[in-house]
Amino acid sequence: MDLDTVKERAGPREFGPADEMPREYREAATRMIQFHANSEIMGAYIERPFIRQAPSLDRKLAVSAQVQDEVGHGQLLYRAAEELGIKTREEMLDELASGEGKFLNCFHYPLDDWYELPMIMFFVDGAAMRRQATLKRTSWEPYAHAIDKICFEEGFHIKHGEDILRTIATGSRRDRQRLQEAFEKWWPRILQFFGPTDDDSTHGGFAMDVGLKTMSNDDLRNAFLNAYVPKAEKYGLELPEYPRVEYHEDDDYYEVYEEDLDWDEFFTVAKNEHPTGAGQIDKRRRTQAAVEWVRDAIESPDSTGISPAAADD
Amino acid sequence: MTLEGPDDLSDRERAAVEAELRCLGDDEFVTAERYTEWQVRGPTLEADIAVANIAQDELGHARLWYDLLEAFGHDQVDLIWERDPADFRHATLAERPYETGDWADPVLRGYLYDTYERLRVEALSESAYAPIADRVEKVLGEEEYHREHAHNWLERLCEDADGRRRVQAALDRLFPHALTLFARTDREEAVVDTGVRPVPLSELRREWRNVVTPFLGSLGLEVPVADHEALLPAARGRDGDHTDAWESLYNEFTFTYEQLGRDSAPALMPEPGEADADV
Repeated sequence: MDLDTVKERAGPREFGPADEMPREYREAATRMIQFHANSEIMGAYIERPFIRQAPSLDRKLAVSAQVQDEVGHGQLLYRAAEELGIKTREEMLDELASGEGKFLNCFHYPLDDWYELPMIMFFVDGAAMRRQATLKRTSWEPYAHAIDKICFEEGFHIKHGEDILRTIATGSRRDRQRLQEAFEKWWPRILQFFGPTDDDSTHGGFAMDVGLKTMSNDDLRNAFLNAYVPKAEKYGLELPEYPRVEYHEDDDYYEVYEEDLDWDEFFTVAKNEHPTGAGQIDKRRRTQAAVEWVRDAIESPDSTGISPAAADD
Repeated sequence: MTLEGPDDLSDRERAAVEAELRCLGDDEFVTAERYTEWQVRGPTLEADIAVANIAQDELGHARLWYDLLEAFGHDQVDLIWERDPADFRHATLAERPYETGDWADPVLRGYLYDTYERLRVEALSESAYAPIADRVEKVLGEEEYHREHAHNWLERLCEDADGRRRVQAALDRLFPHALTLFARTDREEAVVDTGVRPVPLSELRREWRNVVTPFLGSLGLEVPVADHEALLPAARGRDGDHTDAWESLYNEFTFTYEQLGRDSAPALMPEPGEADADV
């Protein structure tokens, strides 16, 4: 299929492994899905300490299940990306460990304590949900299929995140104060989740043209703010003075003052060069290297020849 | 004679039931706590997901045994969150730390533990205390998958020379701690006499060694043959005496509870499946 035909036919779940897609499409789709899969893994990675630190059995079970779901989402997405025939799952996982693979800005910052957990489990997951919901209509069918399951499970995660937020927000004065501090620390990162406004990202336009993306970053950010600014207020959180966020009632539109946000940091993060993010990648690389012997053992010639992926099927 | 609930128990029977439940609950809780360390650190994404499943099953079992203790006036706070670490009765096998990347450890530990758990819980199907006997089936149903998982992994690792070497190292290290699973509490005599668990630990240990020794031997591993008394580590767990690893683990899992100044550990009301995705 040539590119013009792709653009002409582009629509929800229009293309799948049976179609001969041009290389540009397959590369763009791989980039997008790989980024998403990497983000699931690195999101799971920053949440995992809170399985141990959860303050009740039920919370512990819920956080463990949530981390497990994220890894499952990664698994589904890498599979959807593999079907494009550009990279194997192993290659993508290797790229993540080596620091070549990219992932969401918010997952470059480890969480200090339980007060910060709802910043990820409620706000960031809420932002991700906004984006993901629009991807049910992406043109690469295996991606849309993975998104169906992801959105279903993510709905429970956000409920759980909101429950954690509610518990802290209705706690002691000190709890509320710590929560507000966590919010002020995370809020600028959350605003940057959707990238800079008037997004002139190199890949955005093409992805829209071929139906991989169905909504612009600006529209997504606005939808998120419309939904989540009232939710933050509901839990007694105050938007910090900076970065300024202005609501234009007539157009029902939120304006974020871009100059109030640290874009140098954002682009350093995006290149995997921000120290905390580099630290996360490095930890992931080391833990993966430490279990390399297992993959070698089960792939060695004197082994049964079962592929590692089949180990727990 | 069947004991239907807490009101039917003499003081001696009650102490026996409590002692048995604490061993069961604490083993499950601490074992699960360690398993979760493998989440997002396993050798494959599939291994990650499987180990998380198993950890959650064991946490579920811990909750199920602790729930029975609540009938005696306990709650989660005094059973876990504000309990003196020296009052925990789990075997030292459960608390031992993992070396980074040593996947042979959780696989072997899981095999040793799950084989033990099956035998002990099967013995409890004949328990004179009905609430315990009633829960056996649910636990055994889930344990089957755990043993299958451990079997498959052990077989696959041991087919490779390096893999087998690592499993052997884990076996040498863990076997003495596994024997503490069968260490007696000071209530063992009452537990058996009253029929709370009609089979004594010494018999369960004999059965256990009759299962694990030939199976591990068939994988080319050398299983310690000495008498258990000669092999047992200094700390036995069941008497409240634990290895150094326990205190740091305890401090980690109670960290947030302490930080938030909590005094309760409420159950979460909305079950997944009932929540509507309002996002």
